[in-house]
Amino acid sequence: MSSKEDHIRDILQEKTKGINLQITVKRDRRIFINLLREDLKKVAEILAEDLGTQHISTITARDTGNNFEILYHFFIDHVMVTLRTTCPRNEPTVDSLVSIFPGAILYEREIHDILGIVPTKHPDLRRLVLPEDWSGGYPLRKDWKPEGGDTNGAR
Amino acid sequence: MAHVKIPIGPQHPALKEPENFTIVLDGERIVDVDIRIGYTHRGIEKLMETRTYTQNLYLVERICGICSYAHVCNFTQNVEEILGISIPKRAEYIRTLFYELERLHSHYLWLGVAGHEIGFDTLFMYTWQDREVVQDLLEMISGNRVNYAMNAIGGVRRDVSDEQKKKVLEGMDYLEKRTQYYKEVALNEQTILARAEGVGILKPEVAKRLAAVGPTARASGINVDIRRDDPYASYQETPFEVITTDTCDVLGRVVVRVLEIFESIKIIRYLMEHLPAGEITMKVPRKIPEGEAINHVEAPRGEDIHYLRSNGTEKPERYKIRTPTLANLPSIAEMLKNSYLADVPIVVAAIDPCMGCMDRVLLLKEGKDHPELIEWERLRAYAMKWYAEKGWK
Repeated sequence: MSSKEDHIRDILQEKTKGINLQITVKRDRRIFINLLREDLKKVAEILAEDLGTQHISTITARDTGNNFEILYHFFIDHVMVTLRTTCPRNEPTVDSLVSIFPGAILYEREIHDILGIVPTKHPDLRRLVLPEDWSGGYPLRKDWKPEGGDTNGAR
Repeated sequence: MAHVKIPIGPQHPALKEPENFTIVLDGERIVDVDIRIGYTHRGIEKLMETRTYTQNLYLVERICGICSYAHVCNFTQNVEEILGISIPKRAEYIRTLFYELERLHSHYLWLGVAGHEIGFDTLFMYTWQDREVVQDLLEMISGNRVNYAMNAIGGVRRDVSDEQKKKVLEGMDYLEKRTQYYKEVALNEQTILARAEGVGILKPEVAKRLAAVGPTARASGINVDIRRDDPYASYQETPFEVITTDTCDVLGRVVVRVLEIFESIKIIRYLMEHLPAGEITMKVPRKIPEGEAINHVEAPRGEDIHYLRSNGTEKPERYKIRTPTLANLPSIAEMLKNSYLADVPIVVAAIDPCMGCMDRVLLLKEGKDHPELIEWERLRAYAMKWYAEKGWK
C-alpha cells in the first residue's frame, strides 16, 4: 500500500510530464516541489484540478541575494505540500494564483508589500501590513536596515 | 438610493488588534466590505532575524496575548525538527496540557465577548469568572497567567507535580459542570438564538475557497483540525473528537466552541491520568544547522502556520508566521455581505479576531464633507436598539 505522500507524488509526476520539476518527500506529511516560475501556474492548476485542492495555507517569500524564493504552502489530504519557485531580484515578478486560489489574495499582497515581489494580474495590489504612505522600501529584504538610531543589537 | 460607506475602526489605544472595515450600505443592508489591517504591524519577522533562537523564544510568545502558547510551541517544534530531536514524552504531554488550557481560556474569553456584543452581559460575567479557574491553573504550574514562558528548545521549563495534577483535575470537574450550563444556554436561550441564528452565513464552498480555518471553518461543516490531521505534541495518542456543525452561522460558531470546551476538558483529564514519568527537557546546541521546517498547530482561533529557514548560525535566516485571523479575514467580508449593519458587531466577533479591534466608528455619508465620528459602543447600542424595535426583547 502506498502512503498518502507517495500517492500525491505519483499523481503530480504523471500529470506534470514535460514540466521541469523536482518533488521531494521530506518527511511524513511534508512534500516540497521545486519548479521554475514559468511553470507555477500550470502546476497550481494541476493541484486544483487533479488533486481537488481549494485551500491555500499561506505564501512565504525570502531574500536569497540575487533572487527571491517564494513558497506556496498547501494542505492537501493531510499533507503539507509546498511549491517552491524563485524570481530574480532585478525582475521580481511571478504569476498571481488568485484566479485559481481566491484565498491567496491577502498572502500575495503581503509578499508584495514587504518584499516587493509583484504578482502579475493580481486584482488588488494595495499595501497589506505597511502604512499607506510608507516609502521606506521593502523591510524583509536583507539589505534593508531600520532607519537611524539604536536597533538594540540588530545587525 | 445611493450607497453609503461606513468606515469602522481602526483603533482604540486600550484595545488590541486594530482593524478597519469600510462597510458599503444599501439602506441597512451591507453590499460590500473592505478590510484594512496592519495597524499593529510590529516587524516581528524582521526582528527575529536579528535575535538568537533563545531570545526569539520569548519574542514569538509575545505575538499574541491569548494564543501565545500556540506560537511559542510552533517555534520550538520548527527548531527541534531542524535539530532532528524528539523531546521527552513527559514534556510533550505537558505541552499538550498547555495547548488545551490555552484553548479553554480563549474559548471562555470568546464566549464572554460574544455575549457582550449581543448585550448579554450576564454571560460575559459568568464566563470570565470561570476563565479565572483556568488562569489560576496556568499560574500555578507556570507562574504566569499569560505568556507562560513554559517552553525551552528541547522540552518544557517546569514540571507538573502530583499535587498540581490533582488541582487540574478538580478544576476540570468544576468547568465541565459550568460548560454543561453554557451549552444549555447557547442552544435554548432566546437572547442568543435571536441574534445568532441565520446571521453571518458562510457556506462551506465559500469557506473552502477563501481558505477559512479553525472554528470558523468547522462551523461551516468543514472537517479540519490540525490536532487530528497533522498531529503534534501528544495529540496522536490522545483521544478527542473534532467538532463540526453545518448551520454555517454565528450560532454554529458558538456551538462549535462550547462543544470544543468539553473536548479540551476530556483531553486534559486524559493527559493528567496518563502523564508519563521521566525528564522534561534535554540539552540542545546553541547553533542550529542549516535547514528548513514548516509546522502548523491548531490554535484556539484556527490553524497557525510557522516556517523557519535556518543558516547554521544562532539566528534564523527567515521566519514566517501566518496567524488564523489573517486566514479568516476574507471570510468575514463574505459573512457580512447581505447582513444588516446591526449584525456587524457579532459577525466580526464570531471569528474571534482577538476582538476589541474597532472602538471608533466613523459614519460617513457620501457627498458630505463632515463625517460623523461615533464609537464602537454606539454601534453596539444601535444594534441592540435595532433588534429591540424589530420586536425582539
